[in-house]
Amino acid sequence: MTAMQKVVSEIRSFHLFLRILIVLVTAGLFAAIARFAFGLGATTNLNDVYPWGLWISFDVVTSVPLAAGAFVLGAIVHCFNIKKLEPLVRPAIVTGFLGYSLVCLGLLLDLGQPHRGWHVFAYPNLHSPMFEVALCVMSYTTVALLEFLAPVFEKFGFHLPLRFLRTLELPLIVLGAAIATLHQSTIGTFFLIAVDKLHNLWYNPILPLLFWISAVFTGMCIIIIEAVMVHRYLDQPDETDLLATLTRIIPWFLGIYLVLKIFALFYLSERPLFDRPVLTTLFAIEMIAGIIIPFIMFLHKRIRTDGVLQLRAAGLVVMFGLVLNRFNVSMFGMIQENQQIYYPSVIESIVTIGIIAAHILFFAVIARYFPIFEHHSEDANNAIEDGFHSTHEQVVPEKI
Amino acid sequence: MSTERDLSNQRTFLIDLTKCTGCRACQVACKQWNQMEAEKTSFFEGEGYQNPATLSEYTLTTIQFKDYFHEGKNEFSFYKAMCMHCNDPACVSVCPVSAFIKTPEGPVIYDTKRCIGCRFCMIACPFGIPRYQWSKALPLVVKCNGCYSRVKEGLKPACAKACPTAIEYGGRQEMIDEAKRRLAVNPGRYMNRIYGLEEAGGTSVLYLSAVPFDDIGFRNVTRRPLPSRTWAALRFVPTAFITMGGSLAFISWLTHRKEKIRREKEMKEVERASQKGDRS
Amino acid sequence: MTNHWIDLKNSDCIMAIGCNPAENHPISFKWIEAAVDRGAKLISVDPRYTRTASKANIYASIRPGTDIAFLGGLINYALTKDLIHKEYVRDYTNASFIVNEGFNFKEGMFDHWDDREKAYDVKAWTYSADDSGKALRDGTLKHPRCVFQLLKKHYSRYDVDTVVKVTGTNKFDYLRVAETFCGTGQPGKVGTILYAMGITQSTHGVQNVRAVAMLQMLLGNMGIAGGGVNALRGESNVQGSTDYGLLFHTLPGYLPSPEYKDETLETAIARYFPKTKESKSTNWWQNGGKYMVSLLKAWWGENATAENDFCYNYLPRRNGNHSYLQIIKKMIEGKLEGLVCMGMNPAVGGPDSLRAREGLGNLKWLVTADLWETETSIFWKRPGANPKDIRTEVFMLPAAASMEKEGSISNSGRWTQWRYTAVEPLGNAKSDLWILDQFHHHIKNLYKKESGIFPDPIVKLAWNYGTGHEPDVHKVAKEINGYFTRDTEIVDKDKTLEFKKGDQVPSFVQLQDDGSTVSGCWIYSGSYTSKGNMMARRDPNDLPNGLGMYPGWAWSWPVNRRILYNRASVDKTGKPFDPKRPVIAWNASEKKWEGDVPDGGAPPVEDEKGVYPFIMVPEGVGRLFALTMKDGPFPEHYEPIESPMKNPLSKVQSNPCAEVGTNVTCDLNRFPCIGTTYRMTEHWQAGAMTRSLPWLVELVPDMFVEISQALANEKDIRNGDRVTVVTERGSIEGFALVTFRMQPFVVNGVSIEQVGMPWHFGYAGLATGDSANVLTSGAQSPSSSIPEFKAFLCNIFKGGKGA
Repeated sequence: MTAMQKVVSEIRSFHLFLRILIVLVTAGLFAAIARFAFGLGATTNLNDVYPWGLWISFDVVTSVPLAAGAFVLGAIVHCFNIKKLEPLVRPAIVTGFLGYSLVCLGLLLDLGQPHRGWHVFAYPNLHSPMFEVALCVMSYTTVALLEFLAPVFEKFGFHLPLRFLRTLELPLIVLGAAIATLHQSTIGTFFLIAVDKLHNLWYNPILPLLFWISAVFTGMCIIIIEAVMVHRYLDQPDETDLLATLTRIIPWFLGIYLVLKIFALFYLSERPLFDRPVLTTLFAIEMIAGIIIPFIMFLHKRIRTDGVLQLRAAGLVVMFGLVLNRFNVSMFGMIQENQQIYYPSVIESIVTIGIIAAHILFFAVIARYFPIFEHHSEDANNAIEDGFHSTHEQVVPEKI
Repeated sequence: MSTERDLSNQRTFLIDLTKCTGCRACQVACKQWNQMEAEKTSFFEGEGYQNPATLSEYTLTTIQFKDYFHEGKNEFSFYKAMCMHCNDPACVSVCPVSAFIKTPEGPVIYDTKRCIGCRFCMIACPFGIPRYQWSKALPLVVKCNGCYSRVKEGLKPACAKACPTAIEYGGRQEMIDEAKRRLAVNPGRYMNRIYGLEEAGGTSVLYLSAVPFDDIGFRNVTRRPLPSRTWAALRFVPTAFITMGGSLAFISWLTHRKEKIRREKEMKEVERASQKGDRS
Repeated sequence: MTNHWIDLKNSDCIMAIGCNPAENHPISFKWIEAAVDRGAKLISVDPRYTRTASKANIYASIRPGTDIAFLGGLINYALTKDLIHKEYVRDYTNASFIVNEGFNFKEGMFDHWDDREKAYDVKAWTYSADDSGKALRDGTLKHPRCVFQLLKKHYSRYDVDTVVKVTGTNKFDYLRVAETFCGTGQPGKVGTILYAMGITQSTHGVQNVRAVAMLQMLLGNMGIAGGGVNALRGESNVQGSTDYGLLFHTLPGYLPSPEYKDETLETAIARYFPKTKESKSTNWWQNGGKYMVSLLKAWWGENATAENDFCYNYLPRRNGNHSYLQIIKKMIEGKLEGLVCMGMNPAVGGPDSLRAREGLGNLKWLVTADLWETETSIFWKRPGANPKDIRTEVFMLPAAASMEKEGSISNSGRWTQWRYTAVEPLGNAKSDLWILDQFHHHIKNLYKKESGIFPDPIVKLAWNYGTGHEPDVHKVAKEINGYFTRDTEIVDKDKTLEFKKGDQVPSFVQLQDDGSTVSGCWIYSGSYTSKGNMMARRDPNDLPNGLGMYPGWAWSWPVNRRILYNRASVDKTGKPFDPKRPVIAWNASEKKWEGDVPDGGAPPVEDEKGVYPFIMVPEGVGRLFALTMKDGPFPEHYEPIESPMKNPLSKVQSNPCAEVGTNVTCDLNRFPCIGTTYRMTEHWQAGAMTRSLPWLVELVPDMFVEISQALANEKDIRNGDRVTVVTERGSIEGFALVTFRMQPFVVNGVSIEQVGMPWHFGYAGLATGDSANVLTSGAQSPSSSIPEFKAFLCNIFKGGKGA
């Protein structure tokens, strides 16, 4: 059997859903090639009025907070030493790593001169939020990679680097959290420059803080969703009880966010606020469905401890509290009155769908081949000898 | 960002729209000097004789026509849209690769060799000036360079040179004084406002108009320099980094110490246990 | 222009009537703005609200072709409100002259009409004269037969209500114009009138110009800084080409081209350059014979001698009218063998151009010299034509553009500026001088070789422009200035001037009628003297008067005079009427003039040796009453040939002297709208030079038609729709530009719509479109043969011609 045949037969064994994902990813790949072959103008609906579209709004502005689970959970587990959540850390780190890698990919597509990406370091501009985000996203991706390498090394039994990584684990988590704080908030800083473009409902000087807080609670909600999904579809254990711990933390952040939002709206924002019905509606949906309702839901113990209800509340937060918010800020709120309406082109959509598909696909594939769902206490792993044994005991499958 | 620089001698356009006849010599002179391609247009792509509709990757300046009837009177007005060459430019501040430079002479120039094509400048510019080469596979940003190569040699920019009536070009303070003089001498002729004096913290292009600026396509732009807005947040970056990192490290140290103490206590209770407490 | 471009800045009131300086003379606006900055008022009188109107203090709309009514109303307003400059009118115009009984005006017609010839007997209108032949005057201006009283009577019919009924102008606007412009009649105030094709392109175009001049004389605005009658010439060197005899009835320097009956030089000179009976009149044209002889010497050199009448008989002597339209008519009738078009595009630029295009097919050969293919040079493959059916042989000569050759150009203000070659011509393109030089050599050789019926005028031509690849343009310029053919002594007042053979003539004052001088164009004498090329001077210093004359910058004809008739800017003692703007002033102690070069060096009128200010007419004063105008001594309003209404001022509908042509109609059922044509900033004349330049094509890429909202609603036309415009001559297609700037005229209580269109388009070049001149008629003015491009009747429909 050649390697190729092996891969093909392996793929044949995948669930239909995964195979569909493969098709979507392939389509996305071709769409990406088309972008470079025909140019941004021909393949996207971007223009001088809408220099940033779906790719920035979703692939960057939205994906980054969606991948925030890693730093949030890392900090909770390792820094605050809430060990029982440990089993959730690795999947979160994988999500984070994948998320950030795909953000980088999306950004490369969107750049006019992707081959000049290194210019960011060659000609740095400390005043540019974009410089800061680029720097952070790259460092954070590196950190996430290092964190992600742990299960990889475990799998292949590379003990020495593993040991090294273990030593670095806590510093990496701290560093990662600090970096994430910076760029999660700085993505909000992006839009502080758009003072006359972004509608007053969203424009306020604490936008970076709001972006960071929303990234934190979204990160946690994503972990909930992920855990529930993984439990349902990848035959992993039910983590509802563990998640209940998270759900006790979430309303604190939602609450603070809500208070800050209201404060910003009434004390920090320019007027007029409610002059455009469509934007007012979008804002109301974002706040009510995405923040207030989940906030109330998470206040109830029954909901906090029920797997399905957890999922629903978390889903609301993610869909409306975050995704809608980021679109409101980066797209809808930037549309001026009497301006043509932007909608993504087919190619743009295929690329974005491909990126989402790639995320899920890679996660599933990684989950399939790498030990990311194993429950192992920090104590056990810290002992080098034990770690050696515990990894050694693993069955090492043939390499793909 | 520091705005304490002395701007009084920065080369500045004073565009008196009450004197602009919409002849568009500026538009053609710009294309000629910069060797820009002509756009394919049809009929007129805006009010009056407007063509092309807006600035684009091929067009760095246009005359925006307005052709309307107001209070029983015709208004046929012309607004020269171009880069404002801000004193404290948003594009310069947001560009991650420092492709934009505010030159000491005044023009805000753009380095095609550095640009990575992220278009943040386009989002940032309060006047909506930078354009993108949408037609290209590896596009760059396109923007008026204020004819920097001419200005450096002591010449006027091509548009200012070609304009028969409306454009004065000189030191910023001189231009402000001239604008104020015109407003004072002929108050009935002008709106009592110098657009660009304070917009976006002040620009190197100043406008005077007979009709309300809003009516003829000018944007209402904040008075505060835009980079100060992002800087207000960005300047906290080191603090945030150290605070976040430091406090997390401190918390970890605290929690792990607590844990260690607890465990040592346990270990003492379970005799002869000789495991070390964890450390990281 | 009697004044010049920079002088516009000195004005207190600028009336732009029948012109659109913001669009068609953009640079002039620099000076107009300078005047407005000083507080001057800008008045725009135009059928459309143009870019000029947008800058004007007062905009008055006017129905195309009703300028005499408009201006006549202003004359009447100034007279009845007593706003005229009385001293000026009395002393410097013929207002006080008594007119003989031969002149009368009744029901729209002057006396002495010959219905068979369709012409007036112009000679019947004269001054009453005493026995010596000197005109009788009444300084009190009260005599019922004095020009002033006749004028007053004639224009009394032009009251404001009647005028606005004719012109369709809003009465309030008209009164503002009248009040503002006639306000410049007081001494110390000055107004200027700018005009262009809106005034001239009419069956009474020359009378329009006269109305302008009369108003300016009544208000004392002639010869004054910031005043004058200022024709904005449409092409950068059209002033130069007119100066050099562009038109069929003139030779270079506005010397008349002899007619058939002018058999000898002597009789021609006697006829065209009469002596005056007025002792104080300079009557400069009495020197015409000297200029004529010097011109003949320039053309035929050594061959021109006193014995052979200086080759006067080599000049073609015309018989009747040989204007542009006559040439085209002949061509259409198949009576023209060949045509040379240098920078001329009759397939687009002339009226009724469909017929002109067909006519080109009747030629045996056609030569065009242009930068690009023009509609004329590719007429044989124009849309709808079958090249197989056209037998004309076409030669296209690639010509150099203005910046590709050295030479002079003369602007509207008569400033002649020398220009150098900036870049070499592309490919095989050649300068006009080279092309003409080659014509000369080849034709001369042909005549030498093959003789012919009358070879002498060609074979004996003097052509001394060097031996280089192309003629030395400096040699041409030197010949134009003139030089001495032999050693000469000239006694000038108290001193004797000596000149050697070959010396450049200092000015036309030294030109002689004995063959001792040569000059190619007398009015340019002084442009290239022994001091060098005066046209190349670039001294940026103004005179102490600060009026923007810059006497050391280039050179203006005549004799570097910047404002014509400047002797009219001072009172009889030589004191400027307007001390703030002293064009010239008499320095009594030094007995000389200061300021601009005066119109002749004689002392002020009051002085014993003093002369009248208007030195080019025998009377020496301005003519309110014109003696030689074919269509009447006073301008009278007539409707355009194609008019939507009956003439409200008299029973005579249109200019009785005008040549009308056949394909015109006033059928309002078929053609209910007024059509008018114009130029834009972005394109140039017939478009040959601009419609192939992508940067300009980008600005105005397509033929369009401007209409009002009301007309658009009536015809269900929306902005950007394709529309068809139809006249008796043909139909064209274009995009509809629906705009508030076009408004219907309310004339005689009826609302009449107008359709405006640029005439720049054609089928050649990068930007193509239908030509507006397909629609225009060949009806023309009797005095200047200019066609009536600006006013005709048309209809407009939604949809293209195919629809």
